[in-house]
Amino acid sequence: MKLETIKEFLVTQYKIISSHWFGIFGAVIILFFCLVGLLAPLMAPHQPWDTLRDANNKLAIMRPPSLEFPMGTTAMGRDIFSQMVFATRTTVLIGLVSGLISILIGANIGLLSGYYGGKLDEILMRFTDIIYGMPFLPFLIVLIALFGRSLWFVIIAICCIVWRTSARVIRAQTLAIKQRQFILAARARGCNNLRIIYGHIMPNILRLLLLYTAFNIAWSVLAEAGASFLGFGDPNNLSWGGMLYNLWISGKIRTAWWWFAPPAICIVLLVSALVFISRAYEEVANPRLKQR
Amino acid sequence: MPGDPTAQVISPALDEVAQARLKQAYGLDKPLYVQYVLYIKNLVLLDWGRSFTSSKKVFDILAYRFWNTIFLMGAAMCFVLVIGVGLGMVMAWRRQGPLDMGATVSALVFQSAPPFVTGLLLLMVLSFRLDLFPTGGMHTPGVALAKGAAIFLSRDFIHHLILPTITVALYYLATPMLIMRDSMLEVMGSDFIELAKAKGLAPHVVMIKHAARNALLAVVTVSSLMIGFAIGGQVLVETVFSWPGMGQLMVEAASSHDYPVAQGTFLVLAALVIFLNLLADISYCYLDPRIKLGKTSKG
Repeated sequence: MKLETIKEFLVTQYKIISSHWFGIFGAVIILFFCLVGLLAPLMAPHQPWDTLRDANNKLAIMRPPSLEFPMGTTAMGRDIFSQMVFATRTTVLIGLVSGLISILIGANIGLLSGYYGGKLDEILMRFTDIIYGMPFLPFLIVLIALFGRSLWFVIIAICCIVWRTSARVIRAQTLAIKQRQFILAARARGCNNLRIIYGHIMPNILRLLLLYTAFNIAWSVLAEAGASFLGFGDPNNLSWGGMLYNLWISGKIRTAWWWFAPPAICIVLLVSALVFISRAYEEVANPRLKQR
Repeated sequence: MPGDPTAQVISPALDEVAQARLKQAYGLDKPLYVQYVLYIKNLVLLDWGRSFTSSKKVFDILAYRFWNTIFLMGAAMCFVLVIGVGLGMVMAWRRQGPLDMGATVSALVFQSAPPFVTGLLLLMVLSFRLDLFPTGGMHTPGVALAKGAAIFLSRDFIHHLILPTITVALYYLATPMLIMRDSMLEVMGSDFIELAKAKGLAPHVVMIKHAARNALLAVVTVSSLMIGFAIGGQVLVETVFSWPGMGQLMVEAASSHDYPVAQGTFLVLAALVIFLNLLADISYCYLDPRIKLGKTSKG
């Protein structure tokens, strides 16, 4: 791709996102969390697993927010603010990586299936149907219980499922675009199949791709939070869901609102930011939704 | 694989001969494909093995848990579809009004909150602080249980059902509501709505009889996809509210390496997803006369 086209592409995306307050809100929050994730070691005052003592050298267990501990401490005397900062890093990493891998799988299956049709379409779509039969979270739990609670298994397990919706939607759109005149023209000029798929069809479904990238990241974040909350997260890399799991098993949920609020609010904020961005794309992709 | 499953049933402390004999008794000495054929055979005969931890029959455990899950899910889904379709209809009719904006934003926020976050929040506020609802389970401990189906109609049960139902419903409300709104807007642009209005029909007749009926199709399609996700939410909500359903069972079984139970539960949940998808497809044919089962369209 030429530099000009990339620039043009970015300008268009900027226009779409900034055309609606939904999009601006979403973009600001996502940038904020990415920044926190990148700068985590610089921002956190303590290590997430350190048991802390206050100025009087007493164990700081279950302290509400104060000047010393801005978000309070856990039942084990750990600083919630530092845990939050490191957990942001894990959650954003899992969300981005599995969201991007799954759109890569979904887009390719959808494009190939829709473009070639016939036997390949039949095989790929029946495979997608099988994946649709899988209950998402139970599948995740079984996979993680079998293979171990590490960051990468969580990511792989999420990728195995999340791609399915994007594959179906992108196949449908590919089928529609395949019939258009310019595809015939490209074939007449002697373009090979791969060039038609990635050079002519893909640019036309770019908006759909971006929409489903946002969806896939949101689903990945939700899935990871759910699995971690049930105790199937990576014990070495704390995430927001993992913090809520620690709160749940400590039995302090009756009193410790300061322990519940930060991870809960952050999950809702990040996922709704992604949903709001996708809504902005939907308004553009589907002009009928606009005010007439 | 962490935790060899046989170590739970056959103690490694036994001597070699005894271990080998036990393995033979369980059929674990046979090659894997023979074991698999045996498993399939037993599956069809409804012999799903025994739990490693409680040594009860898996089928019996699941038979008890199955209805608890179905009841909670059914209650939530009815709630979601009725409220979602109704609200979506009105939102499209009064587009860009305060109801439209407010409902869109709050539905999107609740959809972004995983069900365990909403559930924990409701528990903290309504149960722990205000003491309005029980904190979990299906019955108040110590209260004499009714027999058979009457269990599901007792006041105590309904009281326990409210919070989990609201939690599941809030999570899934956004999908049918926004789809209904969007497809209503699409339908409302078509000529036959103009015609109905021109005939001088009352606005609510046009809205319900003409527009909503056509817009409902999209909701049916999407709700079939929603159901697959609903089972995942079920697992979380059952854990938060200690609801003795299949989701809670699955989590317990997977974390204690109780493989027969985990396997059985997963199988039933997957079968449930496929069955509900089928149901949605059939109802789609029923709602849209253009689609007929078993006929391929020509040209």
